[in-house]
Amino acid sequence: MSDLGGHALALSGLTKRYGDFTAVDRVSLDVARGEFLTLLGPSGSGKTTILMAVAGFVAPSEGAILLDGRDITPLPPERRDFGMVFQGYALFPHMTVAENVAFPLRVRGLSRADRDAKVRAALDLVQLGFFADRLPKQLSGGQQQRVALARALVFEPNLLLLDEPLSALDKKLRAELQEELKALHRRVGRTFINVTHDQEEALSLSDRIAILNHGKLVQAGAPTDLYERPRTRFVADFLGKSNFLEGTVRAVVAGGFGLEAGGTQIVVALPPGIDAPSVGARSVVSLRPEKVALLLDGDVADNTVEGRIAGFAYLGAGFALRVDVPGLGEVRATLPAWKAPIAPAEGLTVRLGWAAEAAVPVEEDGR
Amino acid sequence: MDGAYRPGPFGRGLAWVTALYLVLPILIVVPVALTDQRFLSLPQDGISFRHFQTVLGSAEWLGSIWQSFTIALAATVLSVVAGTLCAIGCWRISRRATDLVRVLMLLPLIIPSIVYAIGLYRYFGPLGLLDRFLGVVIAHGVTGIPYVVITVSTALAAFDPRLEQAARGMGASLSQTLRWVILPRIAPGIFSGAIFAFIHSWDELVMVLFIASRDVFTLPRRIWDGINENLDPAMAAVAVLLILFTLLLLLADRALRRRTEGG
Amino acid sequence: MSAAGRASAGWWWLILPAFLLLVVFYIAPIVQVLAISVTEPEPGLGNYERLFTSGAVQRVILTTLRICVITTALALLLGYAIAYAITLATPQAQGWWILAVLVPLWISVLVRAFAWVTLLRRQGLVNNTLMEAGLITEPLPLVWNEFGIVVGMVHYMVPFAVLPMLASMKEIDPRLLAAARGLGASRGAVFRRVFLPLSLPGVIAAGVLVFIFSLGFYITPAILGGGKTLMVAEWIGLQILDLIRWGLGTMMATMLVVAILVTPAIFSRIVDLRRIFGTGA
Repeated sequence: MSDLGGHALALSGLTKRYGDFTAVDRVSLDVARGEFLTLLGPSGSGKTTILMAVAGFVAPSEGAILLDGRDITPLPPERRDFGMVFQGYALFPHMTVAENVAFPLRVRGLSRADRDAKVRAALDLVQLGFFADRLPKQLSGGQQQRVALARALVFEPNLLLLDEPLSALDKKLRAELQEELKALHRRVGRTFINVTHDQEEALSLSDRIAILNHGKLVQAGAPTDLYERPRTRFVADFLGKSNFLEGTVRAVVAGGFGLEAGGTQIVVALPPGIDAPSVGARSVVSLRPEKVALLLDGDVADNTVEGRIAGFAYLGAGFALRVDVPGLGEVRATLPAWKAPIAPAEGLTVRLGWAAEAAVPVEEDGR
Repeated sequence: MDGAYRPGPFGRGLAWVTALYLVLPILIVVPVALTDQRFLSLPQDGISFRHFQTVLGSAEWLGSIWQSFTIALAATVLSVVAGTLCAIGCWRISRRATDLVRVLMLLPLIIPSIVYAIGLYRYFGPLGLLDRFLGVVIAHGVTGIPYVVITVSTALAAFDPRLEQAARGMGASLSQTLRWVILPRIAPGIFSGAIFAFIHSWDELVMVLFIASRDVFTLPRRIWDGINENLDPAMAAVAVLLILFTLLLLLADRALRRRTEGG
Repeated sequence: MSAAGRASAGWWWLILPAFLLLVVFYIAPIVQVLAISVTEPEPGLGNYERLFTSGAVQRVILTTLRICVITTALALLLGYAIAYAITLATPQAQGWWILAVLVPLWISVLVRAFAWVTLLRRQGLVNNTLMEAGLITEPLPLVWNEFGIVVGMVHYMVPFAVLPMLASMKEIDPRLLAAARGLGASRGAVFRRVFLPLSLPGVIAAGVLVFIFSLGFYITPAILGGGKTLMVAEWIGLQILDLIRWGLGTMMATMLVVAILVTPAIFSRIVDLRRIFGTGA
């Protein structure tokens, strides 16, 4: 089961309109074999509609869905052979756990002996063999979730689709099941497509994340790429927290440029593959709060600014500071609590600094 | 999720056939009532309202309509007063003891009226209530109570009991609480119950067949005799008038519910 | 008595009028019916012996049961189709479907029986149309027989069958149907393995309701049966009004009440009875 058993899926110009409302707007996306892809976006971003179109429950207005290069857009859901874990799990309440898991095999006409063996293997895979004869309502939320997974995997589907699989669980259980889900993906080696609005879940689970907003695909890439090099302001803001510094480009050199924002000169290093802006243009850069350091006398950094602490919060692992910087506005910084150089206090004047590589130029989102 | 699951052609077809089976036979009386012929048939050379004139010009039909109307009105008052008070009492007490009352309320809905009718025939004799206005009002009013209890109980289920406690806590007596706090809130439920109780009495035939004979001759009784004796288009005209009246009552009920839900 | 007990005593007075009315003017006459069945013409169970000895009594019971079973089966089938269509329809279409079910429910049963007579009698609209179209030469016997009774009774009962079934279908999570399709089930398999089993409690509740309503039905069988096919309710009326045989009539009335109370009790083991009456209004 561990050879790259999955299949490749491609969306080409996928569009879904409901009357005047465009839920999904020309989304093109490739999902590689065996990949764990997460569709991430706020509610109403079209992520669930895309998943439902892939599953066959929503007919696209335009565009195509290709499985290993073959167009499957007109196929009804029952002919696609995709496993799906529904939000709230959708376990059949009148069937036992084993009967639920056997359902996809039964409708495919497998013999009882084959069915039993596969059901047992699937339940063992999610460590629920002991519960085979219980009814879904006798199981906890986490157990129900695992039954839904076993049911979606038992018929060795082409793809596994997950619609907010962890959203009904409490926080601690969610973290546990995230790890299990990741391990499961490695064990079965199939292509998984997951939908969520939880950015932490997306970052920890996925090989790749596709970020959606207002029905459009904004950016797709590996979690570290998206986090470190967000292409737009929306991506930087939705995935983690960010400061945004706006200003005018004053100088461009090889591998970087200088920005004048509210009277402060800022140097920004350009990540590879991104074109330098032209001199005189408006530009916005994203600066993650954890990349801003609090400087003591004598410390140096590529960029330094001075301001007054407007407020702070102690978060256990660190301090979150809001610093009023004349001209720039409010700059947020998070410091590890165990090595904070000073005890923060409101009204205290501090010096902040960050490296040229810390800030990333981002585009303003259309709309 | 659009197109997730829809009935197949067989299910859909059967549903349509059933809907037509339910509605069409009722509508058929309309053209029959408008026939220009003297016997039950569809209009041949044009429509005519003369069968309506026959009905509305007949002292017998008008007398029965009036009698049915007054009986239904009186029976409705009886059902609404007793039923509303009972529903409020059950709602507030809400103990096992009231389960008995609830079961009692169900009996008139499930025990066939023929059983009750023959019972009344014997029971009303010594009381002098046979063929009396009051006798029919009691029979219809008592059997109408469950309709009011059900609609008022439904309205009360959506009513926060703490409002009542707050009113009593501020010094309102039981009757003041009833009049100023509870009744205004459940008025739509009472009105629905009143409409159902009214229709129940207005349409009721089986009891009337046994406990009334000459002096009390309600509209259903006259229709019954008409169907059994002379099937003429005047009957269809009566049927149309009845259908219109029932629809009017149901529309009133709907409009009132919509208004209270909207506000 | 505690303060709370005294406060609630006031509420008991509210129940009293309805309670007294029902006991004095409903329960008492019915208890009297039960009493007459064992006291007239002479005390004892003589009337009930007739259940085993009289061919006429047995015939009327068998006719009633046969018609009720047929009516229940047909009303369930047609009602299921409508409830199923309503459940899966769009909200706007749902309103129209429900209207088609509810309006007949409130139209006078006499009007409906009259409409069926108009349609089905020898010179009725159905026979006339078929003869004019040349499909038949002799009028079909469509009414004043068992066929006519069943047509009229099913027409009356379908709305009562729809309501409990609709209530139980509405509880079915539509995602289960989507899930079943996503797992590879065809439309037929989704219906057979998921929708039907989940709607079964509503079907049983509807079946019980329609069956017990049919047992004591008077007006429709009397008009559409034309006096030739007798069901128990009409037979009871005949015993009392025309033959003045109170003992026999009340005995049958008692059996009717027993059957109506026992049937739901049997099925209450399978299905929650509140399903049957919860949607009664």
